[in-house]
Amino acid sequence: MLFIIAWRNLWRNRSRSLIIATSVALGMWAGTFIMAIYYGMGNDRLRIAIDNEVSHIQVHHPRFADDQEAKYSMSLDSMDALLRQQPDIKAFSLRSVSTGMVATTSGSQGIQVNGVDPAAEQATRGMAGFVTEGDYLDTDKRNRVLVSTKLADKLNLEIGNKIILTLLDTASNITSGAFRICGLYHTSNAPLDELNVFVRKADLDRLIGTAGRIHEAAILLQHDDALEAVYNWLKEKLPGLRIERWQDISPETALVISSMDTYSLIFIIIILLALSFGIINTMLMAVLERTREIGMLMAVGMDRLRVFSMVVWETMMLSIIGAPVGLFAAWATVAWLGKTGIDLGSLMGESLRDFGYAAITYPILPWHNVVQTTILVLITALIAAVFPAVKALRLKPVEAIRT
Amino acid sequence: MNTVIDAHNISKVYNPKTIPVHAVNNVHLHLERGEFTALVGPSGSGKTTLLNIIGGLDAPTEGVIMVNGVDITRMRPNDLINFRLNNIGFVFQAFNLIPVLTARENVEFIMLLQKRHKKEREQRVRELMEAVGLSDKLDSRPAQLSGGQQQRVAVARALASKPQFVLADEPTANLDSHSASTLLDIMERLNREEGITFLFSTHDQRVIERARRVITLVDGRIAEDSAPTPTAH
Repeated sequence: MLFIIAWRNLWRNRSRSLIIATSVALGMWAGTFIMAIYYGMGNDRLRIAIDNEVSHIQVHHPRFADDQEAKYSMSLDSMDALLRQQPDIKAFSLRSVSTGMVATTSGSQGIQVNGVDPAAEQATRGMAGFVTEGDYLDTDKRNRVLVSTKLADKLNLEIGNKIILTLLDTASNITSGAFRICGLYHTSNAPLDELNVFVRKADLDRLIGTAGRIHEAAILLQHDDALEAVYNWLKEKLPGLRIERWQDISPETALVISSMDTYSLIFIIIILLALSFGIINTMLMAVLERTREIGMLMAVGMDRLRVFSMVVWETMMLSIIGAPVGLFAAWATVAWLGKTGIDLGSLMGESLRDFGYAAITYPILPWHNVVQTTILVLITALIAAVFPAVKALRLKPVEAIRT
Repeated sequence: MNTVIDAHNISKVYNPKTIPVHAVNNVHLHLERGEFTALVGPSGSGKTTLLNIIGGLDAPTEGVIMVNGVDITRMRPNDLINFRLNNIGFVFQAFNLIPVLTARENVEFIMLLQKRHKKEREQRVRELMEAVGLSDKLDSRPAQLSGGQQQRVAVARALASKPQFVLADEPTANLDSHSASTLLDIMERLNREEGITFLFSTHDQRVIERARRVITLVDGRIAEDSAPTPTAH
């Protein structure tokens, strides 16, 4: 009966209840949708980091990461043979890497030269897909280089131009070579684009003397869940080498992913906090309007717990009826925009790329957060109910009946 | 034991530390089972205050009230609420039905608070609504009923808990003469046939004429008390 009374009381002032229910629905929609965008961006960042930048796992000589010297290399053949044994590995790219300078008639800049096998690089990070102009490295011509549009803009480079790459060889001697730009590429990570150029491994090996050696093995797995197993397997098989997971190589991406839940929670709590004041205000008005009625109920024998429960039920219902509407609206919005994507790039320009995010974001509804949000709504309703309920409890029947 | 209410030396003083107002002053009241008693007096004479004190809604400044042999002035608030639920029926001047419940639900609600079984509740609702002549209004909400009908539902609600007595504060004050007469007929019949004890405050001469005992309050004191006449039951 308390439930029925609470439910019917809710509709005594229909417009007031609907306004609160609508604000709860809007709050839930906004909170959940923003969360979905945030999760979408986080997921994009994760996919870009793994699929296009660092792969799941990288293997280096233990001193290479610190010194970047060409002499700290690993055997190509043995690494190739080992990685082919692991069925959870989808693709891998065995690279020669060297830091140096690119010099043109317009200027020079410090860069990292990646000597890659074009087919392996394509399989591991989809490099050919980023070529916006010209050709990928799959050509027979020697000393071809792929530079980013960002670097090309900065150094006034065009396809067909020659650039001089100056590097250190395995004996720490300065060596240089002329490379002709075969194509321009453009990924979602502008800072990395500006620093990296790609050449064929054989061309770089000739220059720095690393034939049959590699500096970096980038490994893409069949699925994310295999990460720990393959990581442990590699540690066992390659005890002297530095093996790093994507979280170790790109800690900023790991931070984004690990902080998503925390930020979502804070965001939702702020929304619910704002909503709770509206709910408290409405319920307080409802209690004060019904002073005589509540006084009568207490006079005829309704105990304090039941009076409290009645107000709590009413507040819970007021809060809860809007929540499913908001969640459904959020689900529908995410379902739609999850297919079409949101072009944040058009709003934020290049700044997204500067932080390694894709221009088009596909929101994802995090279901575990929806459950968490629903529980938070219930808790908010419960907390919001306390003040009006205590107000009701403080009524003295003899005075309340007289109002 | 036939004594339902035994009030000794009841006083109620408002603002005792500033300007004391003696709403009820040293009242002794003894009510037997089956009485049909009117509490009369001019406005401000303390009728409602005395009823509230007897009903356990207000605490006296002094005195002891025994209801069915139990001292209600020493009860803890929650015990008192429970005691009121099971022993005292209230009829208010402004009806005070729950507007969102139907007549049936208003009556049944009290029994739900008592945790009575559904079957028993349904049967008692039927009996009481029939007794107050509203069997055909079971599913009407208060707003769909006239003032007189609402007050009859309030009487049924007051009786739903099978109380020791019913306190009615000016029950006919908001009713036209026909509705007032009908209500009094019902209350009298319930008193006569079922032995329910009624104590009601009133200004209404028609009500006073039908009471078997009339207690007159003036300035918080009992100025006159007609001889108690037990019910014919």
